[in-house]
Amino acid sequence: MTETFDAVVIGTGAGGAPLLARLAAAGLHVVALEAGTLWDPAADFATDELDQDNLFWTDERISAGADALAFGANNSGIGVGGSTLHYTAYTPRPQPDDFRLADEFGVGVDWPFGYAELEPYYDEAEAFMGVSGPSPYPWGPPRKAGYPLPPLPLNAAAQLMQRGAAAVGIKTSPAANAALSGRYYQAGVGWRAACTNRGFCQAGCSTGAKASMDVTYIPLARSHGAEVRPECFVTEITRDSAGRATGVVYVHDGAETRLAAGAVFLCAGSVETPRLLLLNGIGGPHVGRHLTAHPGLQIWGRFDEATRPFKGIPGGLISEDTHRPADADFAGGYLLQSIGVMPVTYARQVARGRGLWGEALRDHMRGYGHVAGINILGDCLPTDTNRLVLSDELDARGLPKPHVTFEAGDNERRMTAHADRVMRQIWDAAGARDVWAFPRHAHVIGTARMGADRDASVVDPDGRVWDTPGLVVCDNSVFPSALPVNPALTIVAVALRTADRFLARARG
Amino acid sequence: MTDAPQADAPAPRWPDGWALPVIASPATTAPTRRALLARLDATPPAAPRFFSADAFETFQAACARLVPATGLAAPVDVAWAIDARLAAGTGDGWRYATLPPDGEAFRLGVAGLDAAAEAAHAERFCDLSGAQQDALLHDAQHARGPFAAALPAGFDAAHWFADWLAEAAGLFYAHPLAQQDIGYAGFADAGPTDGAPGAPGWTRIGLDEREDREPEPLIP
Repeated sequence: MTETFDAVVIGTGAGGAPLLARLAAAGLHVVALEAGTLWDPAADFATDELDQDNLFWTDERISAGADALAFGANNSGIGVGGSTLHYTAYTPRPQPDDFRLADEFGVGVDWPFGYAELEPYYDEAEAFMGVSGPSPYPWGPPRKAGYPLPPLPLNAAAQLMQRGAAAVGIKTSPAANAALSGRYYQAGVGWRAACTNRGFCQAGCSTGAKASMDVTYIPLARSHGAEVRPECFVTEITRDSAGRATGVVYVHDGAETRLAAGAVFLCAGSVETPRLLLLNGIGGPHVGRHLTAHPGLQIWGRFDEATRPFKGIPGGLISEDTHRPADADFAGGYLLQSIGVMPVTYARQVARGRGLWGEALRDHMRGYGHVAGINILGDCLPTDTNRLVLSDELDARGLPKPHVTFEAGDNERRMTAHADRVMRQIWDAAGARDVWAFPRHAHVIGTARMGADRDASVVDPDGRVWDTPGLVVCDNSVFPSALPVNPALTIVAVALRTADRFLARARG
Repeated sequence: MTDAPQADAPAPRWPDGWALPVIASPATTAPTRRALLARLDATPPAAPRFFSADAFETFQAACARLVPATGLAAPVDVAWAIDARLAAGTGDGWRYATLPPDGEAFRLGVAGLDAAAEAAHAERFCDLSGAQQDALLHDAQHARGPFAAALPAGFDAAHWFADWLAEAAGLFYAHPLAQQDIGYAGFADAGPTDGAPGAPGWTRIGLDEREDREPEPLIP
């Protein structure tokens, strides 16, 4: 007999986990299906980059275009907690004007709702996850409440950026990070220990100080009775003859299981979500289109002082003085962030970015303990040609591999050139030598965008798939524009709102 | 490639032999120690599983030019790990659309090195001098010369080389002896109590701040 739930949630990352918790708290009978493993952080998370590769989605994605995107370690996750298992926990909020780029600049698209709609959810998410940050926050509108914890201590890269930025007249601040600067208690979760400055935040946090979903919204959801099934890969969204979603089919240990559900929430991330929609022929002509990715140029330099860039929260410092630069020749803006780095990641970047090998690579790497970086996180305008489709090649599961095309537009190129100048000025003023640039794009966004016009979007402003009643998308696939901030916090806020809108409608 | 190395700042050197006692100490958590020692103790298989014996000789020689183990206490040979990965058919989650699947790309690329060695010197790649090998590898990196001529039209040699180099560099600097060589002590992040709740981790995290379990650089 087919098991029946009020709702089934596909994916347990920043979209699925908060939504699961919210639905369970409202008394719904809910289950989450996660393709990856349930980890035990203390026993399973080594402070070793290769050993942590199992947190990345490594089914192959084919990457095309002039600025072909890196996947795997760059922007995908697998395991209970999704990509939040290895996000760096950098959780700035967007500013109100970011939601209406088209209105302000005449390019891109506006969100169907604005900052005010999400503000209470930002407040709630920051308080629940235990975000550490400065109060008051120096940019954007005044907040109702300060961050629940003071900022984490600044590491060497943050101190250097502070020094360089001050010298060139750019204001900086300790950043908001979803890692605990002090011990923290939340009902439904319990006590979480304070961050020990391990600096290994681009992998699993072995102490639970980082607010990945597996130590925050997942235990909350379970405390309300939600079930989480790891290693369950969804292959089909079932529908009735009227086209309404009725449940899912998933594969576990090679066997197929069918679940019936009153509602299906697709929260598999901006690659697997459109892939599953395309595999099922759901969502209409806009699925996979309007893909955006954050310009994420990094500038590295070597300093006379030791930096030991593996210590402390990697993104310790922020500046949003470049949110709308006075001398901008582009729409939108970007934030500046100091960055730490682990040695394997740094070596790979030196290999790709500078092409160093042999004794030149060995020599450069002996200076690893003296390097520090800054990077940007910039907005990206959607275009119809940047998109995800299914390729003809099948992966090990027997399903078509995703094929992603990406090319930065003129706006992103001008923004990156501006940022290159600004960051080099900061690093020069801070005393950097051997300065070099590593161009990159981070985060894949917008492959099932929401909108008020069903002819120009995949889902409505509440995440409901236009052509398939009973199916809701809830992850950063739905973002109409990229927003110039790291996406995790906004995904959580949108997830809580999506859940509330669903529950309000269910209550009539 | 746009930012050439500057010669004005000599790289620091680090003392020999500091890392293994730290890995063995309670400052390194048990799962971390397990991962590092497995890598340190790994013994290569009797024969390659993906490459033919001849192709592997070339590949191994080329990897040794990309990430030479000069001066390390024991050889660090990344070729075996890449061979094992290609045999398993796994990867890092993506590839350039301009390249065939990894296995085919590596077969073509390595065959290209031998073909280039044959064309330029009438010898196998692995029998050339280090300088001759380096010249052909530079050709491969920039998709030019006899290397490029030996490959099928449309093969994106520059991206294949970049992928290979990044993988080799990552594998090399995951090895405890290579980490020791660059003064990296980040694996010892548990403090003195093996990661128990409340473990101090790192407390001296600012500029020029060093904790006792981190090595002091040798001034050249």
